[in-house]
Amino acid sequence: MIGFVVVSHSRPLAEAAVALATQMVAEGPPPIEIAAGSADGGFGTDAAAIAAAIDRLDASEDVVVLMDLGSAVLSAEMALEFVERPDRVHLSPAPFVEGLVAAVVLAATGADWASIRTELGGAYAQKAHHLEAGSDESAPTPPAPERAPADDEASFEAVVINPSGLHARPAATFVKTAARFDALVEIENVDAGSGPVSAASLLALIALGIGRGARVRVRARGREAQPAIDALRALVEDGFGEA
Amino acid sequence: MTAATLETLTAWISGFRDQIVQHQAELTELDSVIGDADHGSNMARGMEAVVGAVKATPPADAAALFKTVGMTLVSTVGGASGPLYGTFFLRLGGAAGATSELDAAALGAALRAGAEGVRTRGKAEPGDKTMLDAMLPAVDAWETAVAAGSDLAAAASAAADAADAGRDATIPLVARKGRASYLGERSAGHQDPGATSTALLFTTLRDAVTAA
Repeated sequence: MIGFVVVSHSRPLAEAAVALATQMVAEGPPPIEIAAGSADGGFGTDAAAIAAAIDRLDASEDVVVLMDLGSAVLSAEMALEFVERPDRVHLSPAPFVEGLVAAVVLAATGADWASIRTELGGAYAQKAHHLEAGSDESAPTPPAPERAPADDEASFEAVVINPSGLHARPAATFVKTAARFDALVEIENVDAGSGPVSAASLLALIALGIGRGARVRVRARGREAQPAIDALRALVEDGFGEA
Repeated sequence: MTAATLETLTAWISGFRDQIVQHQAELTELDSVIGDADHGSNMARGMEAVVGAVKATPPADAAALFKTVGMTLVSTVGGASGPLYGTFFLRLGGAAGATSELDAAALGAALRAGAEGVRTRGKAEPGDKTMLDAMLPAVDAWETAVAAGSDLAAAASAAADAADAGRDATIPLVARKGRASYLGERSAGHQDPGATSTALLFTTLRDAVTAA
């Protein structure tokens, strides 16, 4: 599985970010190492400590490094000069928390580096899109769903009933469930007219702003379109077990 | 004298430590205005660790000395100065090589490698209000002096003067890199702390070379 190194000036900040991300994949988080704070417990980053954290993930084919600001980025870049296999290490351009949460959830579904790279690259745009929706037509749009040769197709519409809508944790459950099937799944917020977006992107899903009572339309294409739709319909109608 | 010995280079490093410790409050004060108020304490902690590491395992040559300096700074400074000064000394040592004597031209080439390493690491350019604004003029002045036939002491003196002038020239600049860049126009009117510590680096090099 893809491994993660979380680099921050502050160890408590890194630990909290990791807790937030792993809370969404309690059943099987990917390997995560922290390189954060100075040796005496203060603020700071250390390129040698980052390199050691990367090398500890020796079983991972790809290692994604999430960084907060300033020296975290410089130290991570420098760490690439010290690690044993720099070609498997990827420095994330995403905002620290959004990138970590989305990438960890995706990695737990078994997603490869190419999928995670797409998610990380769009992480900033997702938030900007959400905040600018309705006020700026030039706002970046969520990634368009991929189109596959149309073999089987299935869809459903349902109203989201759980109290806080498709917030982070139910959205992560949705992404993970969709990833289990050999099908391309997309979802749109019918009431708001937002989407459709690929169900492979946690951040795109969250950016749809699906609240309680919103009607969603979910479509699937591919060999396992129908079983994917059955499973996702059950999830939504069941309120993700929260209702 | 025509070449800097390992002893002179080691004296440079401990002299830099002394100057950083002496100016620690000033560096932190400058950083509190346009940064996160830790440059003095970070650099003092780092250079104390450097001098301790050099004492504990006396390096055999210039490459080993500067590698110890660079790696110790990387792991003890904490802020952006860690990877930046760390890169400066690692590149400096790599270019100097396994030798115990560097003449003016060789030390100038090593300083150039260090400065270019800092430029690449920080992706900064002259005028961005960073340590490069003291470092690049100093290395330029060193090379100009060597090309004009100056000896080691004269080259080091020219470099120190250029670093001081570069430091002073950061005052009106608007920061485009680092924590100070978040302040935008408000960073103008304040001397850059990184350029200030870099000026100390070249002052202490001049003093070490002159005293040898």
